[in-house]
Amino acid sequence: MNPQIRTIADLDRVIHEPGRLMLMALLFAVERSDFLYLQHETGMNKGTLSSHLSRLEEAGYVEVEKTYRGKVPQTLLRLTPAGRKAFEEYRRNLRGAL
Amino acid sequence: MEQIESLLNRPKAYCNIDGVGELAIGFMCLAYSLLMWLQANAPKDSIWHGMPAFIVYVGLMCLILHYGPKAIKKHITYPRTGFVEYRKCHTVCRPMILGFVVSAALSAGLMFGLRRHWNMTTPASLIGLLLAAGYAYRIARTVRWKWAVVSVVALGSIVIAVLPADVVGALADHSSVRGAFLLTFVLYGVALLVSGGISFWLYLRHTEAPAPEAQ
Repeated sequence: MNPQIRTIADLDRVIHEPGRLMLMALLFAVERSDFLYLQHETGMNKGTLSSHLSRLEEAGYVEVEKTYRGKVPQTLLRLTPAGRKAFEEYRRNLRGAL
Repeated sequence: MEQIESLLNRPKAYCNIDGVGELAIGFMCLAYSLLMWLQANAPKDSIWHGMPAFIVYVGLMCLILHYGPKAIKKHITYPRTGFVEYRKCHTVCRPMILGFVVSAALSAGLMFGLRRHWNMTTPASLIGLLLAAGYAYRIARTVRWKWAVVSVVALGSIVIAVLPADVVGALADHSSVRGAFLLTFVLYGVALLVSGGISFWLYLRHTEAPAPEAQ
């Protein structure tokens, strides 16, 4: 197989979906953020955002922490070390494929 | 690939989405200018020449700079558009190292020039150009209308640089170097306060706090 095609085939499919790619990129640049910030930046509705985050959590890329800001519930999200490593590798592979 | 890089830069732009960063720096510049003006123009036996007044003034300023923006973020920004905690290497280490290197280089250059009795008024005024460049790199790249602020600061610095030394010196006990710094800080402080104020107003106009269950 052509090495460039192999690189494309090696792209992480969990991250490669556009919605999840946006979330991974946003979370990669920060220590952690809340659900509202991701909703504001991506323009996704709550259901879609929750489903993408669940998928990333299942893959072990995102850590979810439920807490309270005063009396208001707050969901905090951060990339796990495995998530950071996977995203770096995804960028490297994508660069190689392009 | 470019879109991914742009997404990676979005959290940096979010830091000043409400203009609070600019308001804080503008306040700091004006507070320093006021202190410089008081020290230059107050009588020699005034409290403004003593260390206790300096410590209290700077301490108070630091308290306002530390807690003011935090309070605005906590009560206005986070409930409206969300909370972000930045990586320490981006918000603490790099700016601290850069700030230290730049200020050390500037101070060394200024001391060297003054010891050799060079006319340092023009170089001191041109620090405004450095501030304008920093502002352009950090803020104006992401918000197009902020280039107007860059232009105002850059043009203002050039005007200060060409003003007669005695006019500039009249502001600060006949020291034209100190007068040039004073005018530059006032210019930068006012420009940032106005720009930050406009950003804050636009932010309040275009966002609203969602219902609690939406978070």
